[in-house]
Amino acid sequence: MMGKLNAYVDRMSQPCRAILIFCRLNGIDFEEIKVDIAKSHHLSPEFTEVNPLQKVPAILHGNLNLFESHAILAYLSSAFPGIADHWYPTDVIRRAKINSILDWHHSNLRYGAEIYVTNTVLGPAIGRPRNPKAAAEAEKVLLSSLSKLENIWLNGDGRFLLGSFQPSIADLSLVCELTQLEVLDEMDRGRILSPYKKVLGWIEDTRTATNPYFEEMHNILYRAKKKFQQQRSRIAESGTETTNNRGRHSKM
Amino acid sequence: MIDRREEKEERKMKLKVYADRMSQPSRAILIFCKVNGIDFEEIHIELSKRQQLSPEFQAINPFKKVPAIVDGRFNLFESHAILIYIASAFPGVADHWYPADVSRKAKIHAVLDWHHLNLRRGAAGFVLNTVLAPLLGLPLNKEAAAEAEKVLTSSLSTIENIWLKGDGQYLLGGFRPSIADLSLVCEIMQLQLLDEKEHDRILDPHKKVQTWIASTRNATKPHFDEVHNVLYKLKLRLSLKQSSQADGERKSGIKGPIISKM
Repeated sequence: MMGKLNAYVDRMSQPCRAILIFCRLNGIDFEEIKVDIAKSHHLSPEFTEVNPLQKVPAILHGNLNLFESHAILAYLSSAFPGIADHWYPTDVIRRAKINSILDWHHSNLRYGAEIYVTNTVLGPAIGRPRNPKAAAEAEKVLLSSLSKLENIWLNGDGRFLLGSFQPSIADLSLVCELTQLEVLDEMDRGRILSPYKKVLGWIEDTRTATNPYFEEMHNILYRAKKKFQQQRSRIAESGTETTNNRGRHSKM
Repeated sequence: MIDRREEKEERKMKLKVYADRMSQPSRAILIFCKVNGIDFEEIHIELSKRQQLSPEFQAINPFKKVPAIVDGRFNLFESHAILIYIASAFPGVADHWYPADVSRKAKIHAVLDWHHLNLRRGAAGFVLNTVLAPLLGLPLNKEAAAEAEKVLTSSLSTIENIWLKGDGQYLLGGFRPSIADLSLVCEIMQLQLLDEKEHDRILDPHKKVQTWIASTRNATKPHFDEVHNVLYKLKLRLSLKQSSQADGERKSGIKGPIISKM
């Protein structure tokens, strides 16, 4: 018995949501400890002891402290009994394929999506200046990644990554990254995602396979989405936003 | 019966490793295979000649990147996935490379994951935008080089102060190297292409890092140097070029950089 599992998370963080959904879905007993990034809790001495790199998610399990969400997901799949094989198969070849997509993710979907959302919505929301150049660069990477998902990673008979019939930790990780796009302006989000039909179907399938926990862990993101939509509406109505003068109202 | 024979044939088929020794992750895989006595065929994909864009190679890896492997009917790319696969699928690979212990394994995964957007992004970006770009027909990007240098310096500090903490001289305080050591050290070796002054400026502050590189090189000899030969040859060629440029500048009365030691 390794002792209690503590998960240090902020539900606004994509990799944190993946871990929370995974734990709840698999009936893993754990304590969720909130680390509020917006309030810089990740920089506190207490949290720095848990993760010297000061990032969420991080876990404490007995003597083990661990960070990096893919390492955590792989660890949880192996360390806890009763976790269905499809999450992180023991078959060496199937596992290798999942590892390859988890690796690819960092410099591709994660890099593109995270930087794009930060530079268009989430950064300005906490007072950071907009960086249109970084946003444009990130958008290229994001679109290229979506194209790879649509045309390569989602090839095969099943509806999940690598043509699988059931989700793996890779599906959970990547879909939680894509849900962050919910905070974008509706037209922007539509423009980016709508060409990718398989991707859109896959997001839905992953959501269905992991509900109600998927919805529960995304609640805070949906509330943030609503808040941003209301802000954009107000700006559009008052006509004071000169750089975004499209004159249409956000759907709510 | 026929299926079983086919299976035996597949298993007899050697592991094929598609690599360019100028590529850091390619080197990690080649060294790993050689150190562990794995029977494999090295297939050279010359990046400077854009061979990764050929239809033949695209069939192996639709992402058109090295390294990639073919083992029987199975293709794989992404060097960390490859290292883990080989460590797990081939008998006789010592446990310290990729421990069976779930907690130790998890820590190695954490370093491997951290690597992509930290050391890899910083080191590869810096070398590309200061030295390699012209050799590949690409423009030098000073802004990108400055960004990459920030990430590189920060990553080296993280390795020095966090990842190399512990009793042993390898990552995570290990007494023997793991696939993480091999992957990260091969990445740092790319900095050899920088001019001597730049290289020393970046690495000198990190004493543990330097010792760790030497330990990893020592633990994997003679394969480490053999696989890095292409890199060493290019380094020599570049420093000769830098020398003659400096000479030329001195003769014309213009002060140039200090001549690289050779």
